[in-house]
Amino acid sequence: MRLICLFLIFWITPGFAGNPEPPIRFGLTAVILTDNIRFLDKWSQYLEVKMGRKVEFVLRKSYREVMNLLDSGAIDFAWICGYPYVQTRKPEFLKLMTVPVYRGVPSYFSYIIVPHNSPYKRFEDLKGKIFAFSDPDSNSGFLYPLSLLAKKGDNPESFFRQTFFTFNHAETVQAISEQVADGGAVDSYIWESLAAINPEVTEKTRIIKKSPRFGFPPLVSGLRVDANTVRLMKSTLENMNQDVDGKALLARLKLDGFGNYPDSLFNGIRDNAKIVQRINLDVLAVTN
Amino acid sequence: MPILSPGSWSLAIKLPLTITVVVTTVGFMIGAVMVIYDWTRFQDELGEKALLLSESIAITAPRGMLRKDYWSLYLSLKNIAARRAGAGESHEVITAMILDAESLIQAHLQPAENPLGLIFSPTNKLEQELLRDAMRARKPIVLSRGGFSETGFVEGVVPLFTDQKYLGVARVRLSVARLYGKAKGSALIVLLLVFCFVIIGSVLGTVVSRRMVKPLAAVTQGLEAVGRGEMTDFAPVPVKDKDEIGRLSVTFNQIMSELAEKKMLEEEIAMSEKLVALGRITAGVAHEVNNPLAGLLNCIDTLRKHPDDQKLIDRYLPVIDQGLHRIKDIVHNLLVGLKIEESDENVSIEHIDKLQDLITAEIGGRNIEVIWGNRADRDLNIPAKLEQIVFNLLKNALEVLPDGGIIVFDMYQERNFLIIEVSDSGPGIPSSIRNKLFDPFFTTKPNGSGLGLWVVYRLVESLQGIIKVETEKGHGSTFHVAIPVITVKAA
Repeated sequence: MRLICLFLIFWITPGFAGNPEPPIRFGLTAVILTDNIRFLDKWSQYLEVKMGRKVEFVLRKSYREVMNLLDSGAIDFAWICGYPYVQTRKPEFLKLMTVPVYRGVPSYFSYIIVPHNSPYKRFEDLKGKIFAFSDPDSNSGFLYPLSLLAKKGDNPESFFRQTFFTFNHAETVQAISEQVADGGAVDSYIWESLAAINPEVTEKTRIIKKSPRFGFPPLVSGLRVDANTVRLMKSTLENMNQDVDGKALLARLKLDGFGNYPDSLFNGIRDNAKIVQRINLDVLAVTN
Repeated sequence: MPILSPGSWSLAIKLPLTITVVVTTVGFMIGAVMVIYDWTRFQDELGEKALLLSESIAITAPRGMLRKDYWSLYLSLKNIAARRAGAGESHEVITAMILDAESLIQAHLQPAENPLGLIFSPTNKLEQELLRDAMRARKPIVLSRGGFSETGFVEGVVPLFTDQKYLGVARVRLSVARLYGKAKGSALIVLLLVFCFVIIGSVLGTVVSRRMVKPLAAVTQGLEAVGRGEMTDFAPVPVKDKDEIGRLSVTFNQIMSELAEKKMLEEEIAMSEKLVALGRITAGVAHEVNNPLAGLLNCIDTLRKHPDDQKLIDRYLPVIDQGLHRIKDIVHNLLVGLKIEESDENVSIEHIDKLQDLITAEIGGRNIEVIWGNRADRDLNIPAKLEQIVFNLLKNALEVLPDGGIIVFDMYQERNFLIIEVSDSGPGIPSSIRNKLFDPFFTTKPNGSGLGLWVVYRLVESLQGIIKVETEKGHGSTFHVAIPVITVKAA
């Protein structure tokens, strides 16, 4: 409901009368904690001042919806996950713009978490249990655990008794803390942010497995967006750590800044995607 | 034990007590009805709320179940529980669940104990029963257990359908505890109100009944005073209202004042009767003394004229002597009758027997028989006054008897009394003079002084005795005297 309201606000308010340029529309997903609307207002105001154009954040429940908006040109930029980023699109409609720097590096982990009082110590212990995924297009919340299973030639349907998607890393943490699921996969950045804001929730969870480093969910631009706007947005974001307001906003995001990194940063994710795809094809071949 | 028998309690206690009991009973009955009605209504409302919550879940649950969106299902349960846990709500969600057609858990508010995808199989009998009822339900129902208490609950059960296919059931269970607490609070207020009502009612009842009973108590006291013979110092009962009690008080006051008046009148009459008696005595004395005096003075006058006439002296001296003796007798009897002293002097019973000789001497040559009977205890001491009483009665009998008459004297003891009976076979006493019999100077005899029986009466009275006459015309009379003597003997 909140999301819908927010969505309506962003839809109804685009462009004041007399402003000839349409606002820049920025899609956000659950890669960050998007609950704080006042923070998003401040950030959009900051970007407006820097870019001289109105900036609107567009919130959607799933990554897929944001991808679709980007594809259709309804939004100009988006903060997406590494997994959708590495997937091949024909034709390609997005381009890597900048990557957040978290704790000094442009990378994060996937955490496999269990309720703090559960007996499970390894990912393998979760066989036959209930597992919560975040988003089917999330690297840390879906692709990584899937790759773990794929490497063993297994898949979620056979390995777990029951699985479900929360479509939100924060809610995955909640599902584990409230023992709705026996285990779940979450974004380390979200888990750590929650640990700072809502420690009573994360305290009820325990990390049993930490993935290798993955490229941090990147900020991408639509191919249709003109080069100047992309450049301006990229430099604005990458220079946020240069001024006080920007630093304050980054502090709220618990990020060090944004940086220019090559596409190869996401090769780890790309490899996992390939493994999963292959296994799925095998499964398909077997079932056929 | 007068306290234990309400029959002896004063109306001033019974009436307020009755009012208090009635007010209390009615008050508490009304209170109980209010509380029970309240509780029933509360529970019905709670059942409706449980059903409403289940139905709100049932709207979205089928879609979530088909898509296996267990997280949304769980959140829908979580939302209603969180919403209802807020302060000011009259109930709380104990548990909520969504089960599929095979009782597999699709979502449960306590996921740790009730993991997703397993069959919901409670171990206790009550839960199994509830589950059976819930799984059988094909339309929304309300289940309740534990009644209206701390542990009671109501459960809204709504079956889930999609395209007319049965998918499972949504169950939301609400605790009665908070409502119970609230209802207990309101019951306490009702109780408090009833208590105030009872106190006010009782006080009012007491005041009203006191006001009613007060004149009654005054009337009762007045009547008790009448019973004791005290009427003059009677204080009128104050009259406040014109109701039955007011009218009773007015009537009572009237009766009392009339009684007092009557008593005063009686006292006045008694006083005037005393004066009349005094006048009669005075007149009697004057008359009785005056009669011989005239003859005496004549005799003395004649003797003075003829001092040496021995014949005259011999003739008149006895007349003078007789006249003076008569005056002496009258004066003596008057003194006896008027100056009766509270004398404790006792004499032996033999003194009475000596009177037989005395009366025989009085009879002289007349033909009168005396039958003497003295059956009293021989060592009994009797008051000395009794001698005079017996002698006077015998003499009275003797005087009325013609020749050939009989006097019967009898004396005996009966209980604490000494009974003396003197009978004569004389002409009897006419009824017209019976009430004057003991008056002084009343006599029917030509030479009687009219003091004999009066003296008897006065003596008997001074001994706290009783005198009674039985008489029949032509068949004589009997004087009965009863004197309390045994106490005298003991002394």
